[in-house]
Amino acid sequence: MEKTGFPLWLRRHWPGLVILTLMSLFPFLAGLAMGDPAAVPPEIQGVGRVLALAETGRAKFWQGMVIQMFILAVFAMSYDLLLGYTGVISFGHAMFFGTGGYVVGLLVKHAGWSAGAAVGVLLLVALLQSLMVGALSLRVKGVYLAMVTLAFAEFFYILAEATDFRQYTGADDGLHGIYPPPFLSPTDHRTRFYFLALVFFLTMYLAARRLVNSPTGRVMVAIRENEARAAMLGYNTFVYKLVALVAAGVMAALAGALNAFFNLGVTPSVLSVATTIDVLAMTIVGGAGTLTGPVLGAAIVHLLGYWLNRLFGQTWVLLFGVTFILIVVFLPYGIVGTVQARSWRWRAVWRERWRRIKEGRKFPLPS
Amino acid sequence: MAALLEVQDIHTFIGQFHILQGVSLEVPEGSITALLGRNGAGKTTTLKSILGLTPPREGKVIFLGEEIGGRRAYEIAAMGIGYVPEYRAIFTGLTVEENLRIAERRKGDLKRKADFIFTLFPDLKRLYRLPGGQLSGGQQQMLAIARALVPDNRLLLIDEPSEGLAPILIQELMGAIRRLSAEVTVLLVDQNFQMTSRLADRYFMIEDGRTVRSGAMADLLNEPDVIRRYLGAVI
Amino acid sequence: MKRYRAFTAFILIVGALVALGYGLFGPQKATAALLSGLTLASLYFLLGAGLSLIFGLMDVLNFAHGVLFMVGAYVGYTVFGNPRLILNTAPLFLALAVGIIAGSRLAPLIPNRRFIPYLLALAGVGVTLWGIRGFPLRPLVAFEPTTAGGAIPTALAQEPLSRMLLRLGQLALAGLLLGPVAARWGREDRRAAPWRSLALGVGLTLLAVLLLLGRDPLERFLLGLSVDVRFFLALVAGAATGAALGALIETTLIRPFYGRPITQIVLTLGLMFAGAELVKFIWGKEGRPPMAVPSLFAQSCRSPNLLAWLTERCSSIDVLGRAFPTYRLFIIAVGLLILVGVALLLKYSRLGMIVRAGVQDSAMVEALGINVRRVFMAVFALGSALAALGGVVAAPFVGVYPEMGSIFQLQAFIAVVIGGMGSYTGTAVGALVLGLARALGDTLVTTGIALPGMAQALRASPAVARASTVLMMAVVLLVRPAGIFGRKE
Ligand SMILES: Nc1ncnc2c1ncn2[C@@H]1O[C@H](COP(=O)(O)OP(=O)(O)OP(=O)(O)O)[C@@H](O)[C@H]1O
Ligand SMILES: [Mg+2]
Repeated sequence: MEKTGFPLWLRRHWPGLVILTLMSLFPFLAGLAMGDPAAVPPEIQGVGRVLALAETGRAKFWQGMVIQMFILAVFAMSYDLLLGYTGVISFGHAMFFGTGGYVVGLLVKHAGWSAGAAVGVLLLVALLQSLMVGALSLRVKGVYLAMVTLAFAEFFYILAEATDFRQYTGADDGLHGIYPPPFLSPTDHRTRFYFLALVFFLTMYLAARRLVNSPTGRVMVAIRENEARAAMLGYNTFVYKLVALVAAGVMAALAGALNAFFNLGVTPSVLSVATTIDVLAMTIVGGAGTLTGPVLGAAIVHLLGYWLNRLFGQTWVLLFGVTFILIVVFLPYGIVGTVQARSWRWRAVWRERWRRIKEGRKFPLPS
Repeated sequence: MAALLEVQDIHTFIGQFHILQGVSLEVPEGSITALLGRNGAGKTTTLKSILGLTPPREGKVIFLGEEIGGRRAYEIAAMGIGYVPEYRAIFTGLTVEENLRIAERRKGDLKRKADFIFTLFPDLKRLYRLPGGQLSGGQQQMLAIARALVPDNRLLLIDEPSEGLAPILIQELMGAIRRLSAEVTVLLVDQNFQMTSRLADRYFMIEDGRTVRSGAMADLLNEPDVIRRYLGAVI
Repeated sequence: MKRYRAFTAFILIVGALVALGYGLFGPQKATAALLSGLTLASLYFLLGAGLSLIFGLMDVLNFAHGVLFMVGAYVGYTVFGNPRLILNTAPLFLALAVGIIAGSRLAPLIPNRRFIPYLLALAGVGVTLWGIRGFPLRPLVAFEPTTAGGAIPTALAQEPLSRMLLRLGQLALAGLLLGPVAARWGREDRRAAPWRSLALGVGLTLLAVLLLLGRDPLERFLLGLSVDVRFFLALVAGAATGAALGALIETTLIRPFYGRPITQIVLTLGLMFAGAELVKFIWGKEGRPPMAVPSLFAQSCRSPNLLAWLTERCSSIDVLGRAFPTYRLFIIAVGLLILVGVALLLKYSRLGMIVRAGVQDSAMVEALGINVRRVFMAVFALGSALAALGGVVAAPFVGVYPEMGSIFQLQAFIAVVIGGMGSYTGTAVGALVLGLARALGDTLVTTGIALPGMAQALRASPAVARASTVLMMAVVLLVRPAGIFGRKE
């Protein structure tokens, strides 16, 4: 009997739904488990108490961690559109993330704009920036492109650090006091900010999935597999790569803006190589060429950074660099990629066995 | 007579593509053996597999009685195999002299072989100091063969030497290959069946990465159907 | 024909830059700016030459090249001014190396099970950490001898010999554990003959023990040497460290991944990051002021001309009425020397011939029976040595600081993009063009640009000039993506 409609949809999507439910419940579960009961007045009871507990103690801290993970996950997904889906190695992805932070920062802090308007303008700026960077850097290929994009990113990094613009950017101190609207304040209403980040993450995930499953996305994969052949089939590969880069750039810029709002500021380090290394690590750890990979990678790398920092203090950056190298060496296809490869192999083996059983070994199989 | 080179049922992959799916051949010492097949049959890949440039994943390659599968290409070449790749891959930025000198495996190789090489290809003497990139197609082909003759090779793998050459040059080339085959065994790949059929003693035919026929060249010439079917050539 | 056009373009660009300089600043300032430009060009070239050679030959873009430049600078600086740090740390590295050499010989004894290498690696790292635990790195780094030949401070901050010898043992043990892993890792090549590694091992052990036992007299001896000799030693030590690190990087992180270019460059990027952090970890976040210059450039006076300078040894020289530091002339000379030296090497040596052939088609070179991987390693080491040498040469000019690697690497990248990646001539040309443009830009932004209708001249910091070179790269990409001398794909 064929299942159709809703049951089928449910059957196909239940893991995602379970995860989504868990994500939505997380602030409250965290509040119950790790909230600080002493910080909530005893007269607040019932649902109100759960809501209030979520804003206290380690529950608040861990929501912050997860918010950061959502932001980084979007950033990593955007990077994977380039690296994993189109096969474009950019070492300048930090420039989009950082631009997001600095543009909303400058507009909100110095021009007094509202957060919404600033994000609107950011969309435009990011579009232009990624178009320009793409049009220039996509004229070269491969490792050459990696070098050129790194140079572009350094350009913005140097400008952000330059003392000339200290009154606007804060130079090496960074730009602080980037406040979102008060009702979304990450300090006072962390749970609300959590849901903002969750919605942002889901929207971006669905958008990215839409893109990679579209005909455009398939051309992107074709370019990754063999650019010459894709070109021979009549696709203008430059345009498709540009589309991928623009999509990735805009997504990263939005993630950067949310990051700035969450941290109430940006420092030049968001534009530095360290940020690119971060996003590379997340994508590679999780598994390039999948969308769930970067998300998982973002969570793992962020936690890893947190633990390394707690255990080793200052030295953690060095250890992170070393860990990064080890990951690339030993886990080149990432967690999701490796698991997929394994499960495919297992599935193939079982399918073969099943076939033999069914056919009763009518045909001699090659040994 | 033991074969100089023996290839037993090799399988080679390029990326995920299973290109060679069972190629076997034998090259007796002192002969010219032709490797025939249509475009894309896997002739070039076979030569590269022998040399270890695209190492076969399965099967055996035996040269001078030793199994050489799994060795690095430079080790295999140094055992005495010269390679003349298709599209005459000489080094365009190096002079003719340097192109020859780089092939030396021991000091003085070039000096020792110079006479032999220049009697085969007198043109090269005149062009000695010119960059390889300035040579004509025919001259580049001569240079590519000459380069493989510099060290003491036992076997030459020659891939599509006649491609893109004028008929008169092909005649010259045939003469050269015939003469050098007195000194060294040759495994020859060429689309020009006129040429291979006149040069070679024996042939191996591959199709879709498999050896499908082999035998004496003289016998093949009596089977126009086979030639048409496998090579698309008419004689 | 194509070359001819490239040369014309090059002459035109340089001519335009020179003319621009003279037009904007007049002969006096412009000449000084152009000389500064040559200085920078020389450093960019030292860095870019290796990048470009390595890329041309093995299609690897080494993002850790700037780190090698910086490590060269730091090692040179340390050899020059603080040999105590070297004398106390070098034996530890040597002990580890000896252990690894010995251990790699033991590899066949290790049972062939998948998990064993991991176990060994873990144990090796553990023992290494045990061996360096509590090593008094901070005080050793902080120790700065006052003046050349001056009194030696007491042996403070050094650990007693017995403790150091114990550490040597611990690290040798760690090496023994890591050796089999390393041997597996580098399985590509046949191993050296046994007597060779025996000799190497014994030699290194002797060296380590001698360095350690003789550390006090050696330190006194080194600090008692003249500045010139110490400077020379710094150059040699820096370049040698660069070569050794280059060879190490090639064998461990590049060689196992030929055919996987993405992995290779992602690894070098990781190394760029980790290397900079490592330098910060060892030498601290703060930079050091410029290193002292050899006596030829040290007298505080101004010589009227080159000949007078050779006898007076002044620190600056008169160029059209302005003082120009003579040490920078030395930097230019080193750049020229290396430019010519490497060009001769490429043109006339067998190695050079193989490199030129390999740039075009390395598989064909291998098919001729040449172990092209060995050539790769040699070129990687050579390029790294040049970068490290550039670092040492730069140390008296810009000092040493943890960001110098990425800063200079960025400029070297831009230079090779301008000149054309993979082309040796192109790298020299790109370095020259970029150096001149940078010097003019620096002069321009620091003296200020007087725009009509503005009360004040527009001024900026050198950082802005540094960033603006990226725009230059953008223009080149627009006009000629392959660079002036680049090959088309
Ligand atoms: N790098 C590669 N990636 C994918 N397929 C390849 C690659 N190189 C060769 N092939 C395929 O392998 C097959 C055999 O190629 P090969 O070059 O050996 O053929 P050939 O017999 O030499 O043909 P030709 O007469 O055209 O030279 C062809 O179908 C080709 O498409
Ligand atoms: Mg072929």
